[in-house]
Amino acid sequence: MLNLVKNESVKLLKRPSTYIMIALIVVGTILFGFLTQWLHSNSKNDSNNDWKQGLQQDIELYEQEYENTNEEWYKNWMESQIAINQYRIENDIPPSYVDYSMWSFIDESSLMITFVGLFVIIIASGIVANEYSRGTIKMLLVKPYKRWKILLSKYITVILSLLFLLAILFITAAITGALFFGLGDTNAVYLTYENGQVIEQSLLLYLIKLYVLSSVSTLLLATMAFMISAVFRTSGLAVGISIFLLLVGPIITSNLANHFEWTKYTLFANTDLMQYLEGTVLMDGMTLEFSLVILAIHLILFLAISFYLFNKRDVSA
Amino acid sequence: MKPIIELRNVSKKIRNKQIIDNLSFKVMAGEVLGFLGPNGAGKTTTIRMITGLMKVSSGEIIINGTNLKQDFEKAISQIGAIVENPELYKFLTGYENLMQAARLYKGVTKEKINQVVEMVGLKDHIHNKVKTYSLGMRQRLGIALCLLHDPKVLILDEPTNGLDPAGIKEIRHYLRKLAHENNLAILVSSHLLSEMEMMCDRIAIIQNGKLVNIQRVKEEEVKTRPYFIQVDKITSALNILQDAGYEANPHEHGIEVYLEKKQVPEIIQQFVQQNILIYEVKVISKSLEDRFLEITNDKAVTSHA
Ligand SMILES: Nc1ncnc2c1ncn2[C@@H]1O[C@H](COP(=O)(O)OP(=O)(O)OP(=O)(O)O)[C@@H](O)[C@H]1O
Ligand SMILES: [Mg+2]
Repeated sequence: MLNLVKNESVKLLKRPSTYIMIALIVVGTILFGFLTQWLHSNSKNDSNNDWKQGLQQDIELYEQEYENTNEEWYKNWMESQIAINQYRIENDIPPSYVDYSMWSFIDESSLMITFVGLFVIIIASGIVANEYSRGTIKMLLVKPYKRWKILLSKYITVILSLLFLLAILFITAAITGALFFGLGDTNAVYLTYENGQVIEQSLLLYLIKLYVLSSVSTLLLATMAFMISAVFRTSGLAVGISIFLLLVGPIITSNLANHFEWTKYTLFANTDLMQYLEGTVLMDGMTLEFSLVILAIHLILFLAISFYLFNKRDVSA
Repeated sequence: MKPIIELRNVSKKIRNKQIIDNLSFKVMAGEVLGFLGPNGAGKTTTIRMITGLMKVSSGEIIINGTNLKQDFEKAISQIGAIVENPELYKFLTGYENLMQAARLYKGVTKEKINQVVEMVGLKDHIHNKVKTYSLGMRQRLGIALCLLHDPKVLILDEPTNGLDPAGIKEIRHYLRKLAHENNLAILVSSHLLSEMEMMCDRIAIIQNGKLVNIQRVKEEEVKTRPYFIQVDKITSALNILQDAGYEANPHEHGIEVYLEKKQVPEIIQQFVQQNILIYEVKVISKSLEDRFLEITNDKAVTSHA
């Protein structure tokens, strides 16, 4: 099994397209660093010295809004913001924009996870389909491994490539952030609002969690792409559908969520696990456990279809 | 000799179409069996079933005593196969392609890899990317890939496809050597009879998914063969032969008789004693070619009817 995964990794690492992906992530992050620095140097003048005053103003703004809105999730979100801002003022913990450092940059670079998602979907769409289009599937399936083992090794390789690209993004962001903005406070904390209380967390731990949890939707979509390419044996369709959903899925879902109760059972209502970290949920009655169950059901369904068809079908490519 | 590949009543239906119909045959250790049939006869389909790429609709496939369906990994690990063309990873080098396969079998050493590379004559190009290879070089690499794990069985679908005459001769040489010296059971398919006759010990002819004929290539093995004897006195010649218990029939300007080789001089002596003039004695060899054409033409006619 290990050797199967090794073979798959070799095949990926010998392709120029893999290096283009890695290069795009690295270059993209560095450009993002330049952009961020430029924006900061422009806004240096509006002094952040009196950040406590700024937060106090925000609190007052939220309190007014709170009275005027009926949206439940908005109220919850403002409640958490008010609590966190008050905690900062009381405990003298400035928000990240005051002392912009490597940590803040890693945090903002998590936006780039969408890119990682894009690339992993392309990998997942091709890893089975390309064997068919090259005809090499015939050489692969006559090796002394049952078909499910061969497919599993490919799926494991997809997950490894997701973790690998995430690590590259994280490390590039850390290095770029350190060079542009300095190391910052190594003991920095991250504040969340859970069950009516503000909680301090290690910032590094929070950022790793942020990266991993932000990749959940990527993992699910990559698995879906994997399934589509195992079913149709071509990568184009899998790339198209999955990337479309990656980009517009969350938007459609949040629109639907305002109108239909059943939205909460859909994939995209549950892929954003950050909502539980930040304590603001999309819809009432949604919990971390609920989302995990829905995600697991989707994942199992995608994999079951992939393995069933891959095992059963005749290969006459 | 024991059978290394054995098909028992194998059938394949795809969407209600009978592609392979009750096919049974054996390939022994140390022999090359040719699988001959016109386009669309079902050669590739049969090979796909033996290599597990397609599942049988009914019947059994036994590889060196192991049922393919019951213990796929054990059965398939004894096979080296190229189905249709050798499909290789073009963005990898020849050596990296070999490494891909080597990792998936137990006990393939570096020496073994070098040995097969040497054998197929790719030493100078093995570290080049496969996309730079000619078709012949790809075929060679394909054969090297099949032989890495010392299989008991070699299955090649149209191995001479796209090769020049020198390449064909070379493949023929390898295959015969592998079968006769290394005791492999080899199954090769083709729709070219002349090629098969030179390469194989036995030939199985398949048509519309059915086995129509299986026979040795070397005719020496057959005891009696039909001879044509041109004589002046046909009736008396016939009488002599029939009295002696031979199976003889009149033929244009002579007779046709089934004889063993050592009986030929005896007959000639008898005819001379009886003053029968002999103009010609020759073997009427029904070549495989005749048979192949006969079979394929017959079938073509019936299938059009
Ligand atoms: N996947 C499939 N679906 C439907 N019919 C198929 C399929 N594969 C093969 N066939 C049919 O099965 C028959 C046998 O095909 P096969 O490829 O085994 O022939 P072949 O003997 O290898 O011919 P050739 O000499 O052209 O390579 C053909 O009539 C073909 O149309
Ligand atoms: Mg064929």
